[in-house]
Amino acid sequence: MVEFRKASSQPASIKNTAIVTAVLATCLSSALCSAAFAEAAKEFRYTVGAHANISVDTQYGSISVKPGTDNEVVVTATLKSDNVEVDQQQNGNRIEIASHLLRGTDQRNGQVDYELLIPPDATVNLRSSTGPMSAERLQGDLTLEGAEAAVNVRDVENGHVHIRTMRGPITLTDVRNGHVEIASISGDVHLKGVTGPLVQVTSGRGGISYDGDFSSGGEYRFTTHTGDIRVLVPADVSADFKARSVLGRVQHDFPLKPRHSRFPEEVGRSFFGTTGQASSEVVLRSFSGRIRLKQR
Amino acid sequence: MTCSDVEQALPELLDGEANGAFPTEVESHLQSCAACSGLVSDLETIAGAARTLAASEEPPPRVWARIALELRAEGLIRDQPADAKLAPGRPILLPTAARRRWSSTAWWLAPVAAALVAGGSYVVSHKPATPVAQNQAPVNAAPSSAPSPAGSAPTTPWQCGLPAQASMQPTVTAQTTVEPEPSADDQQFLSAVSTRAPSMRATYENQLKAVNADILETQAYVDRNPRDAEAREHLMEAYQQKALLYQIALDRIQ
Repeated sequence: MVEFRKASSQPASIKNTAIVTAVLATCLSSALCSAAFAEAAKEFRYTVGAHANISVDTQYGSISVKPGTDNEVVVTATLKSDNVEVDQQQNGNRIEIASHLLRGTDQRNGQVDYELLIPPDATVNLRSSTGPMSAERLQGDLTLEGAEAAVNVRDVENGHVHIRTMRGPITLTDVRNGHVEIASISGDVHLKGVTGPLVQVTSGRGGISYDGDFSSGGEYRFTTHTGDIRVLVPADVSADFKARSVLGRVQHDFPLKPRHSRFPEEVGRSFFGTTGQASSEVVLRSFSGRIRLKQR
Repeated sequence: MTCSDVEQALPELLDGEANGAFPTEVESHLQSCAACSGLVSDLETIAGAARTLAASEEPPPRVWARIALELRAEGLIRDQPADAKLAPGRPILLPTAARRRWSSTAWWLAPVAAALVAGGSYVVSHKPATPVAQNQAPVNAAPSSAPSPAGSAPTTPWQCGLPAQASMQPTVTAQTTVEPEPSADDQQFLSAVSTRAPSMRATYENQLKAVNADILETQAYVDRNPRDAEAREHLMEAYQQKALLYQIALDRIQ
């Protein structure tokens, strides 16, 4: 009782000092703990032949893929804590890397960031919920899947590109001569310099923008439910256009030659027609979004 | 004879055409209906091309051997041990990350996603019991284009022959504010997300609400404009979006 009185009778400055000291000690111990589980980088190297198949699967974290040498795969995994491990295996030309979350792991401490250097002709399969994911200067097939992950693909040719996300934005730049198929629930899709025999984008609530040239031939199908579609192409583009928004507006500034006379055009909601030699088929569809086709 | 009659009788008509011309009433309708004549023309082209295809043949054993060789090289299969209980010589499929993931996630989402697409297909293809008035002209048809005759039904997504009032009024706007009730599958889906990836629950729930709202909105429009094939296609795609959401969850939650 006496001691209690003594304690409570201490000057306010002493009490404050004790509190500050306790807080500092807590912060210090937290920092030390963090330092103990500081980022750890692990490197894995594999020798492969032509057309290797490489898969990376992580729940949380980024994946970046770039070209390296022709017969080696180098994977650098940066682990944010020891609550997550990296499982890896090689079976012949197939390499599989996966983050393995231990019990009680969340987005903060379960993150693993991957950087890959791979043969340019390899087939690549990437999965990350949070992303971002990027691939550049490759020539093999690419499959990228995520939930919230942003996806960035650049300078890819001769390979098929398949992307599926829930709401992350998707950007493709200079993708040539491959089948491109993109499905998103609400992510925006931006295509710049993307050409090929098939370019297909489907989004629920995301917008779709295309800046390029359809003239090399191919089939281009852009569909969104409530998002807008914006297409920017050169004045001398060669394409057969079909566009319709069920409830939204459509707009174009091309002198289209009518081709599908048997389909009555709904002014303001649809347009059909060709320019040049109609090398490519371009189909733009939205349920309630706006569709705009403009000259560059 | 209406477009709908022609559409329903098309399979028999095309079969019968191989033995002679179409019946007079059909010919008469085709001459006056650009949409039906175009459809018949397209189907004749497809049927003609299909007839030229060679019958499929069982690939020779060396093809299968070659495929097995490739799969072994890629590490996807390996040979069974000699004392295996299964048929000797039959290769074993090796586990991969993708297959391991399937076994550890909410497996029931897969059939639900498939059912969504199948259900969507049924809803979209289901013909309404009370068609719209058949003598309504397409809206804003270009003066130069051949007007569809009375009673002609749109047959392609790009044919916009909607009733004037229906197509010009965004009648579903009010529907967008309706909060769709989550179905039992939706609740089970959200429950699985809550258990396995609680931090993602709000995100998946919002996406699910959005997709359900899109389905409701489009369904309401299709109910008002049952002959709009394009809108039905959007409805089907809205169901596919929901199936995609389930599939993403299936792949991502662990």
